Amino acid sequence: MIEPGQHDVVALTEQLREATTAARHAYRDTGRLIRLLTVLSSPAAPDELLGRALAGLSEAFDADIVCVVSEVDDRFLVTAASGLAEGDTSHVEGWALGGAAATAVRDRRPVAWDIESGARDVPPSLAGLGIRSGAFVPMSASTEQSDELLVLYRSTGETFSGTDLHVLASVAQRLRIAAEDRERAVAIERLAESGHLLAPHLDSGSLVETAAELLKRLTMSDDAWVVGISDGLAYGRAHHGTAPVAVDAIGERPVAELRAWNTAARGEAWTGFAEPWDGSVPRTVLCVPVLRDSTPIALLYASRNGPRPFGVEVTEIAMIFASYFSTALENAGLYRELRHRATQDPLTGLANRELAVQRLDHVLTAGSEPLTGLLFCDLDGFKAVNDRLGHESGDELLQQVADRLQNALRLKDLLARFGGDEFVAVLGEIRSLDDVTEVGRRLIDALREPFELGGERVIVSASIGGVLGARGATTAGTMLRDADAAMYVAKSRGPGVVEVFDDAASNRSLDRLSIRSELLRALDRNEFEVLYQPIVDLESGRPTAFEALLRWTHPERGAIPPDVFIPLAEETGEIVPIGTWVVEQACQQLATWQRMPGCDDLKISVNLSAAQLWHGDTADKVVSLMHEAGVAPGDVWLEVTERSHAGDDVTAVTKRLRANGVHFALDDFGSSYSNLAYLKQFPAECLKIDRSFISGVAREGTDRSIVRAILAMAESLNLDVVAEGVEQSDQRDSLIALGCRLGQGYFFAPAMAGSEATALLRERVAVPRPSTAVSGLRLASRR
Amino acid sequence: MTQQKLPVRLHTASGSSVAQDTIEAGTAAARQAMAGMDGHTPELIIVYATVRYDLPTLLGAIRAVTGDVPLVGETSAGHFAGAELLAPETGVVVLAMTAGPYRLGIASVQGLAADGEAAGITLARQARATLEPDRSRHETMLVFVDGLAPEQQALVGGIHRVVGAAVPVVGGGAADDRRLSQTFVFRDGEALSDAAVAVWIGSDEPIPVVVGHGWHPIGLPLLVTKTDGQVVHEIAGRPARDVFEDHIRQGNREELDRVRPGGYYSTHAFGLIEPDGTHLIRGVFMDGDQMINTFAPLPVYSAIQIMSCDEDDLLSVSEDVARRAVAGRDASVLLVFSCIARLDVLQSRGEEEAVRLQAAAGDVPTFGIYTYGEFARTTSVAGYHNSTVAAVAL
Repeated sequence: MIEPGQHDVVALTEQLREATTAARHAYRDTGRLIRLLTVLSSPAAPDELLGRALAGLSEAFDADIVCVVSEVDDRFLVTAASGLAEGDTSHVEGWALGGAAATAVRDRRPVAWDIESGARDVPPSLAGLGIRSGAFVPMSASTEQSDELLVLYRSTGETFSGTDLHVLASVAQRLRIAAEDRERAVAIERLAESGHLLAPHLDSGSLVETAAELLKRLTMSDDAWVVGISDGLAYGRAHHGTAPVAVDAIGERPVAELRAWNTAARGEAWTGFAEPWDGSVPRTVLCVPVLRDSTPIALLYASRNGPRPFGVEVTEIAMIFASYFSTALENAGLYRELRHRATQDPLTGLANRELAVQRLDHVLTAGSEPLTGLLFCDLDGFKAVNDRLGHESGDELLQQVADRLQNALRLKDLLARFGGDEFVAVLGEIRSLDDVTEVGRRLIDALREPFELGGERVIVSASIGGVLGARGATTAGTMLRDADAAMYVAKSRGPGVVEVFDDAASNRSLDRLSIRSELLRALDRNEFEVLYQPIVDLESGRPTAFEALLRWTHPERGAIPPDVFIPLAEETGEIVPIGTWVVEQACQQLATWQRMPGCDDLKISVNLSAAQLWHGDTADKVVSLMHEAGVAPGDVWLEVTERSHAGDDVTAVTKRLRANGVHFALDDFGSSYSNLAYLKQFPAECLKIDRSFISGVAREGTDRSIVRAILAMAESLNLDVVAEGVEQSDQRDSLIALGCRLGQGYFFAPAMAGSEATALLRERVAVPRPSTAVSGLRLASRR
Repeated sequence: MTQQKLPVRLHTASGSSVAQDTIEAGTAAARQAMAGMDGHTPELIIVYATVRYDLPTLLGAIRAVTGDVPLVGETSAGHFAGAELLAPETGVVVLAMTAGPYRLGIASVQGLAADGEAAGITLARQARATLEPDRSRHETMLVFVDGLAPEQQALVGGIHRVVGAAVPVVGGGAADDRRLSQTFVFRDGEALSDAAVAVWIGSDEPIPVVVGHGWHPIGLPLLVTKTDGQVVHEIAGRPARDVFEDHIRQGNREELDRVRPGGYYSTHAFGLIEPDGTHLIRGVFMDGDQMINTFAPLPVYSAIQIMSCDEDDLLSVSEDVARRAVAGRDASVLLVFSCIARLDVLQSRGEEEAVRLQAAAGDVPTFGIYTYGEFARTTSVAGYHNSTVAAVAL
């Protein structure tokens, strides 16, 4: 029996027990909540945070299993778990949505479940665990967010209370936010760490490789790709990660076939699932466009194995990364273009001067081959094409020439355009100067076929100079200078010629270069002089004309032979003013002589270079000088060599001069082409037999036969003939015997100053003229 | 170490020796165990021994008798084979067992101090791999862990991450007769420190792990408000030691007189309030700075109660654990892991626990050890206990 008062004790004891239990529960709930919040706020990587939080939930709610699941195609796949064994099939195969879980997803509210309800809301792999109750808690209350659920399973049978669900709902949302925050923080940190790593990549190849690597890290993915877009096609550029797919296996495909394309084309990020590499768990894929002018120029893909959705923050950061990448790509493109422009000739796409010099420098200093060849090509007749057909055609011709030259070279050779119509080839695998010559000839051959320009067929050739350089023994500058000089020598020998310089020739060329530069000043310094050599009636020895001959006396070098400086004057173009000066001097001298008694029918012969003939205003200039000097154009003979005559320009000049009465003589006849057809075209009225034939004319033999043939031909064409280089009496006699009437040479008189020639005239013209000797000769008598 | 699944009964036999001489003790205990096997070839040897022995020599002596049969075990703070307790600092006990209906695999790991969770992960993976790919329907992990390694729960967490909730974990922390100096686990002929050894047990039937402590709260719930590793600074905003000792004075008139010289509060502990209202016992000791410490860190903001216990409750819970462990099982041995703290509380009645355990287990022979920390992970990830008795029947 309980005493009065004992009731109170019992009741109070009971109340105390209840209060203690309530306090215990309250403290337990408070403690677990604080501990979970502590986990959520403690510093940890996203995965670690999730792991700790799930373990904390397992402890706090006495749950055997706590996991985060994603809904993929009406199935749940586990993305993170505490209590599931490694390799549990719920990660891979998932399980069908049951009633409670489906309700939680649909209604976005936490739902408790127990075995009594009979629903099938437990993954099959947990069948042996005796799960009796569970809770399904949406990670987000918003339908905008992903369909992730926090799931807890208990084997104890105690169901999750309403309070439990409230706490879990709160924790689940905070867990999602914390995980996203953490993911964003990591992504931002990595972006800050790595965004600038793109900038130094000026080579787009390494840039895309780096971008793929950084994107994978940034998005915490298993794989990342850079996919290029060009002309509506997407093609793999770079891959980083574990996927068993080679980047080129992606192949080319129309962008429209890409699931992400429509979204990417709007400049937005796309996320979705994709077939797994192996197994059955879909991958989660993120695609962000790399934009330029609002148009995708590339796509960045990140892929996570399994259903691990990309958070909004990571997606945004991937977009920022894409814009970094776009800028870096643009920079790399600009750099490439600048570099291209710095080393490529924009017209032909060939290397330019700088690159050729660099290459030459490299092979001569650090190359693997002991010898290097260099060819310097200058087009013959390019200017005429350019003038006649216009610059556009000229450019097109240069492009075609570049193609042909390139095709004629080998892979080891580097062809460069040096500017204008000059090309340079740096040759590899060269063993001797002969090899250089051989490649040069191939280039000449490559230009042999006519070029098609705007429906017209055009022929150009090249003059090519070549040199051989030994590694460590010469420099790029020296080789270029010598090849250039060799090219000028080739040019002076006519179109389509290859000239190679050995060391001796190079030394001479060095000397020539010096002479060349001084030649430019010689006219102003009055270093030139015109000498006159009489052209005489062979039988009487009476001068009928004088050939004006240019001489250069250098103040230090002394007399420089004409065969040295005339080609140089032609190369530099200085021959034009010099030639004009000679014409002027000669005309003035003739005028003086013609005023002498008995000399009124004297003629003067002046050499005209090819360069002068190509010069359009030469005709007017020469005729005008004759008039100024008071000389009849018909008393002036212009001597040109056979090879001077090439092209329409020359024909125009000669025609114009001939129309003014000026006569033409072909100099050094027989030493060059001796092309009869050419004789027909050119308005020559006199042939000057080259001195090489005269030396042998006194004896029976080839020379004599040639002279005889020339004389016969001249007679049939009604041409005058002058024998050059007559040095002995037997030569004179033989020439007379062969029917040649005029000659010049030491036998009669050397070239002499104007005053000496005047004296000679006074002396010889006093000799009575044989009445028949030179009659009928234009060079000897006024017509 | 694997064998075909056979519907055969597990054969076990134990031996013990209190000989001072290491070789003599090892040889005698092993011979006794082997003799009891009645000709059955053992597949596993379990050894508990005092740390006083030269351990490699001891293991060598045992293996001289048992041969190359895999050997596991650990140093103890007392142990028993059947009803007879070998008190701390005394002797060695050896259990020989066939695999019977089980499939057994052994693994070990070192480096607990560096990273307990990583060690747990490695241990679990290696243990599980010993029986792959042919896994059993039910599996249990028996673990022997260096009892002085920090963060024992981290090891359990690592194991849990690999094996999940479906694989219970049971075992104990090696001890060193209360010296708190260095403890060892055994694998074959080696005694390892900073290490753990596991036996993976595959079975057709569930192998339940049973646990109990017999402690009761002596005050209202409290929140741990400040900790630093194993040091508890504040409880409910007050110095932890003040709070703890205030409770001792209230709940136990004999006050603090039973505080151990080593600073261990054997009759009082923290009870972490579990979700189901029960308590997870965390033993308490005072360090040289007079600060309250626990053997495993208390999470800050843990809800706790100060716990106490008395001898009868402890002995009673032992019986309960033993009964539950063998109930409905056709078991051949009951492996028991009991806390040295319990022996401290029981004092002169210490020998009673072994007796009552064996009595409760009936004809299932018991084989037990007094440990520094007990492992019994059953439902949630939590699985490390103090002042508790854990048991599994095989």
